[in-house]
Amino acid sequence: MSALLQVSNVTAGYGDGPAILNGASVKVEPGKVHCIIGPNGAGKSTLLKAIVGMLRIREGDVTFKGESVKGLRPDQVLRKGICFVPQERALFPKMTVRENLRMGGYSMRDKVDLERRIDEIEARFPILKERRDQHAGTLSGGQQQTLSMARTMILRPEIVMLDEPSLGLAPKIVAEIFDIMRVMTEDGITILLVEQNALMGLKHADWGVVLDLGRTLFEGPGQEILNDPRIQELYLGGRKAA
Amino acid sequence: MADMIQILVLGLALGGVYALMGSGLSLVFGVMRIVNLAHPSLVMVGAYIAYWAFRLGGVDPMVILPVALVILAATGVLLYKLVFEREARSAKYSEMTVLLTFALAMVVEGALGTAFTNTQRVTSPDYATDAFFIGSVFIPKGQLYSGIVSLTIISALALFLKYSAFGNAIRATTQNRDAAELLGVNVNLVGLVSFAIGIGLAGAAGALVSFVFSFFPAKHWEWIAILMSLVVLGGMGSILGTVLAAFILSIVAAYVGFFFGATWSTLTFFVALFVVLLVRPQGLFGEKPELA
Repeated sequence: MSALLQVSNVTAGYGDGPAILNGASVKVEPGKVHCIIGPNGAGKSTLLKAIVGMLRIREGDVTFKGESVKGLRPDQVLRKGICFVPQERALFPKMTVRENLRMGGYSMRDKVDLERRIDEIEARFPILKERRDQHAGTLSGGQQQTLSMARTMILRPEIVMLDEPSLGLAPKIVAEIFDIMRVMTEDGITILLVEQNALMGLKHADWGVVLDLGRTLFEGPGQEILNDPRIQELYLGGRKAA
Repeated sequence: MADMIQILVLGLALGGVYALMGSGLSLVFGVMRIVNLAHPSLVMVGAYIAYWAFRLGGVDPMVILPVALVILAATGVLLYKLVFEREARSAKYSEMTVLLTFALAMVVEGALGTAFTNTQRVTSPDYATDAFFIGSVFIPKGQLYSGIVSLTIISALALFLKYSAFGNAIRATTQNRDAAELLGVNVNLVGLVSFAIGIGLAGAAGALVSFVFSFFPAKHWEWIAILMSLVVLGGMGSILGTVLAAFILSIVAAYVGFFFGATWSTLTFFVALFVVLLVRPQGLFGEKPELA
């Protein structure tokens, strides 16, 4: 199968600072859940930020459906069909749930269509309908994450990238978050996920990518990587567990 | 008792203009993190536009108000492009804008002084010295009209922010700039438009101030402290908070003036500023300040 998104030997860092990514490569195939794991400071979040254009790519290339998206601004990458949910969930705390959803479709011209899509989202995530007039800042952590993920679906993107969606959530809620990811893939959305909690991330992923020191160490089906002795070494061996 | 009601009415009547001045300041801070110390000096520019339009052409200040709004909004666009846009990504942006706008205030004051001298001025349409009477309580027409016009403008702003797509983008940018950008909001354009609206509101407020208070170029120093206390009490960047604070403080100031003499009424704002910063630094509706 040809890659939907291909990250090839990317080098990037913050401002004029040292490179955080040193030739990272990731191949994203359509319709699957991909999980990037790696110890602290491996460059997982940095990789997602480089893909959406929040960071300048110094070397290497990122192609989406064969076309380079390197050097595009975040809003341009968004219009190509790549949504990004950063770690801090990127909600507007003093806007209502409905208004937050509406902001998800800010780049849409057809506002009637937008309202219809919001209704669809509300039908699929009843909690969002229930809380529609409540400020997003008053939602629980799990509900906020649900809102962030549901909001990306409004634009019907091809790829949704999630930076540690499970951060700070109780295990039961985390399971719900992974269920939502499944729902998204059933909709034909491809997921690229970064997880600090490697075990859980890999358990739910079709494909795992192990990143360390800004480089791709190895990749493979999630279950395989889970049982790979190198993982044990990376997390429990010479280096401290993340 | 009649005195108490009279004072309440006078305080309420003044609250509107304070609220209009404060909301422009608050909007600019909320979206752009610009602490605009030059805001009241630009109110003065609006006041002079209204003053001269009335004196030379007999045009009512409330008629010239939209003109002052547009002229100042255009000035805002210019200032934003020339001064404020280039450093917007700097980590010390807010701190820097304090110095920048301080300098700007002095430039505006100097220019107004050179052009119009330091004579005290006041625009004097008939209603400015007239009043309505309800029983023994009198309502100065000038203050009443300025209050009504201010609240109308603020309501229009609030409706725009709440219900228009661009207004939502402004609010979103205020609350989470990075997230807004990720969703496709052109945050630089949002900054420009909000700054222009904020400065335009200063112009509009100036037209009203011109017949409510006497003014001269250096008067803005008195205003900035008052406006800062409104914005801080309301919660930095919260327009609703600023409006509430404007009414609360102008009513309190009116009572302080009645009981202790007019000299003391201005003190209300400074005391409020101190107390709020000590007790509840986030104000009525603001975010808890982050320790950074």
